Amino acid sequence: MIRVNHLWKEFNRKPVLKDISLAFEKGKTNLVIGQSGSGKTVLMKCLVGLVEADRGNIYYDDRDFSAMGFKERRAIRKELGMLFQGAALFDSLTVEENILFPLNMFTTMTKGEKQKRVSFCLDRVDLHNVHHLLPAELSGGMKKRVAIARAIAIKPKYLFCDEPNSGLDPPTAILIDKLISEITAEFNITTVVNTHDLNSVMEIGDCVAFIYKGELWWTGTRHEILHSSNKELNHFVYATELMRTLNPGK
Amino acid sequence: MILIIKLIKEGAMFAVNSVIANKLRTVLTLLGITIGIFAIISVFSVVDSIERQVRASIASLGENVVYIQKWPWGGFDGEYRWWDYVSRPVPQLSELDEIMRRSVTVEAAAFLASTSRRVEYLNTSISNASIVGVSADYDQVRNFEMEDGRFFSALESAAGRNVAVLGYDLAENLFTGLDPIGRTVKVFGHNVVVVGVFEKEGMGFGNSHDDTMVLPINFLSQFINVSQDRFSPFIMVRAYPGIPNAEMIDEITGVMRSIRRLPPVADNNFSLNETSILSEGFDNLFAIIGMAGWIIGGFSILVGGFGIANIMFVSVRERTSIIGIQKALGAKNYFVLWQFLFEAVLLSIMGGSVGLLLVYAGTAAVTSIFEIDFMLSASNILLGINVSAIIGLVSGFVPAWTASRLDPVEAIRSTG
Repeated sequence: MIRVNHLWKEFNRKPVLKDISLAFEKGKTNLVIGQSGSGKTVLMKCLVGLVEADRGNIYYDDRDFSAMGFKERRAIRKELGMLFQGAALFDSLTVEENILFPLNMFTTMTKGEKQKRVSFCLDRVDLHNVHHLLPAELSGGMKKRVAIARAIAIKPKYLFCDEPNSGLDPPTAILIDKLISEITAEFNITTVVNTHDLNSVMEIGDCVAFIYKGELWWTGTRHEILHSSNKELNHFVYATELMRTLNPGK
Repeated sequence: MILIIKLIKEGAMFAVNSVIANKLRTVLTLLGITIGIFAIISVFSVVDSIERQVRASIASLGENVVYIQKWPWGGFDGEYRWWDYVSRPVPQLSELDEIMRRSVTVEAAAFLASTSRRVEYLNTSISNASIVGVSADYDQVRNFEMEDGRFFSALESAAGRNVAVLGYDLAENLFTGLDPIGRTVKVFGHNVVVVGVFEKEGMGFGNSHDDTMVLPINFLSQFINVSQDRFSPFIMVRAYPGIPNAEMIDEITGVMRSIRRLPPVADNNFSLNETSILSEGFDNLFAIIGMAGWIIGGFSILVGGFGIANIMFVSVRERTSIIGIQKALGAKNYFVLWQFLFEAVLLSIMGGSVGLLLVYAGTAAVTSIFEIDFMLSASNILLGINVSAIIGLVSGFVPAWTASRLDPVEAIRSTG
């Protein structure tokens, strides 16, 4: 579980995160949603330590991340899997080498153990016989699967996904969303997903947090989101004609 | 430790992949270093080759041999008082006998005089061939090898027999395809029997036997007055083994002054020349040429180094997102630093290696076309690679350092 307590972050005296308090539950897919510029990416960067919060605390299973030094944070970093926008694979490396990268950086596993782990991760994301292919030889969906395989290679306790299905066609995007959700439940990971894709919300949003102009405006489940009375959330959810057609009252 | 080695290997792999992925850029970047290394190593190879040949030539003069001559060697680094030397008498054949009689340090000595004449064999003639008359024991004071036949005996020398030993090229030109031994050539209008041929000595320091006919001095003296200045007579003396040249020079100075009856206050009217004088002179000369090579090639390498630094900065900029992802996936600063440094050094060594290949091709071509023994030595190859590596290291350090210090936030922001 990850807990965020009264988190503040400013850039050039302009607040980007305002007193965010939130809990991301273990074994569940936690979605952070909001419009572009709402602050959800900054929140994720604060969570993984890429941006330092000005105030507030972040707890990884009761370990105060905000108070940790470099070495302790590096130990936590070994427990974090990251799935970047796009797939962010290394173009010059094969699929296998891409997945080996975090294993080489973070672990002292033997070559055989690492090979096994790579094969396991690729199997888990339903990719077969792609070990020696380069990213350029893969489709967008396959790249994303490789990225997921890379993210789970180090057996993370926490998985962070930044816009995981951006650039994918809707059916593939759904497949990726489901894969993330399945992996989360299967390995009992605390997963945080940044997205503004409502399909993702409806598909895998076990817990959803809506951020608006740097503030936490709403939390709930994907089932509750359609019936919220929060004006800004409804404005976000029912921005499309399709959604308004599905729920004429909104 | 194993992890560090693995990370180094991983970083090197990224660097190699980057070089392969940007072939054209790689080639263009390499050009500066290629030209620089080509310039430096070419100069060094030429200097080394010439130096080797000159030193071999000097060595053939004999390291423990002293030349008694009218003119001193030197003048490499200062005033040459030729007006003091011009009026000196030249060494005489009779002085050779006196030196041998009086000296206790001299093991062997030879008198030489030289001129040039037409040499004929049947319908073949060589005009202005170098003719050198030598006394007995010449083979004791001058280092040489025989290609064929023998050197003349003491008896032949003393008797002034009409025998000759030919230089390799002279024999080739006179007797194309024929065995010269026992054949008769004509010089000074007289028949001379060839008894031996010197081994080819190559480009020498003016003392190669290759185009020379060597005759007994007593035979030559029948046609020219070997005591005349214009025939450049001189005496070569060699000390007994274990006796330093300085000791022999001290003794010969006394002997020569005594022979020439010089009063105590008078300056020597002869010169005792050693090959070390030449060696020292050439040391300075080659040092200057070597320095010129460094300056000429150094500028090219400097430009090449800037080229590498420039392209590495571009590379860092291009790969900002990759660096960010690497860092996010656990790569430490030194991993990124090593990766870019390795790439810079790899680029530089590749450029240097191409330069070395060009030098090798050049030396091989020059050697085969001009029959001059130019070669790319192992030490110059090592020097070229080391210089390339150092330039790569120096020029790649700042870009690599910049990359290693990149803020992963900025890096990841440029992702996808």
